Amino acid sequence: MRRGKQTRQGLAYDALDSVIHERARLSVLTSLVTHPKGLGFAELKAMCALTDGNLSRHLQVLRAAKLIEITKDVDNNRPHTFCRITAGGRKRYLEYLAVLEQMIRDVVAGDKSEVAAESAQVPA
Amino acid sequence: MADLYKALAQIHAIRGQVARGTEFRGYGPETVAATGLLAAAAAVGQSLTLKDPTRSVSGYLAIWIATAALALLVTGFQTITRTRRVHSGLVRQMILSAAESFFPALVAGLLVTLVLVHSAPRDLWMLPGLWQIFYGLGILASCRFLPRQMFAVGTWFLATGVLCLATGTGARALSPWEMGFPFGIGQLLISAVLRFGYRQGDEDA
Repeated sequence: MRRGKQTRQGLAYDALDSVIHERARLSVLTSLVTHPKGLGFAELKAMCALTDGNLSRHLQVLRAAKLIEITKDVDNNRPHTFCRITAGGRKRYLEYLAVLEQMIRDVVAGDKSEVAAESAQVPA
Repeated sequence: MADLYKALAQIHAIRGQVARGTEFRGYGPETVAATGLLAAAAAVGQSLTLKDPTRSVSGYLAIWIATAALALLVTGFQTITRTRRVHSGLVRQMILSAAESFFPALVAGLLVTLVLVHSAPRDLWMLPGLWQIFYGLGILASCRFLPRQMFAVGTWFLATGVLCLATGTGARALSPWEMGFPFGIGQLLISAVLRFGYRQGDEDA
């Protein structure tokens, strides 16, 4: 697992994937990774609470990064957009989760040691 | 601090959900095939060393429990190392998921063996059939994250188990091939499904 490195400013996590580390795109990818068979545009829009324009924009970014694939067909004379996470996207998402988890664990460990240090300084 | 723990719990939940939708590729076909050959070798060993297994039940149990333990040990070790390689990021969830599916059948088989040995030694002839049925149930319980052809292998073990129960009394009781044949063939079938049954291009990250 890739870990963050200690800097003067605190913990820097270069490995946090900047394409995934955006609230709406993280939401889209989380929805897609937990539905490996894929989701339609309308389902994805409802799950992520995004507008049509916003969702389209984020889907293009994710597709450009080869994290998802988008297929378009016609169903009952209506255009139907279908999104599915790619194998590479799934791998990058899991790596992102691992780094994020490590970052949170480091923060929790840091907070605990600060509390312990403060407790030790309290006079009896 | 509570928010951080909540975030960790959410990450754990997402990983669990991803694992549930992932085909398990931790079982190695070569190792499973080797356990099939081990079962055949144990059957040959039994036929050479135990002329009348019904009069030497402890010897029979020693051969087959040792064979099962060795197969479990080798498969378990190989599964953990392979899962670490194949399912990076989901190792713990995938191994737990595999164990949760298979272990109830394994534990049930072990408990039934203990009960029969201690309370119904006259019915020990049923053991090969019962072991195959429990093993088949374990495989069927694991089918949800294995290639769908594995259902046929689970059915194979159920069928051979029922056949052993129907015909395994009298002179055929505790015959070496009641175990060697079903497990030898069955493990090779599992190996073939693991080797050829996964969908191409849908491998785990």
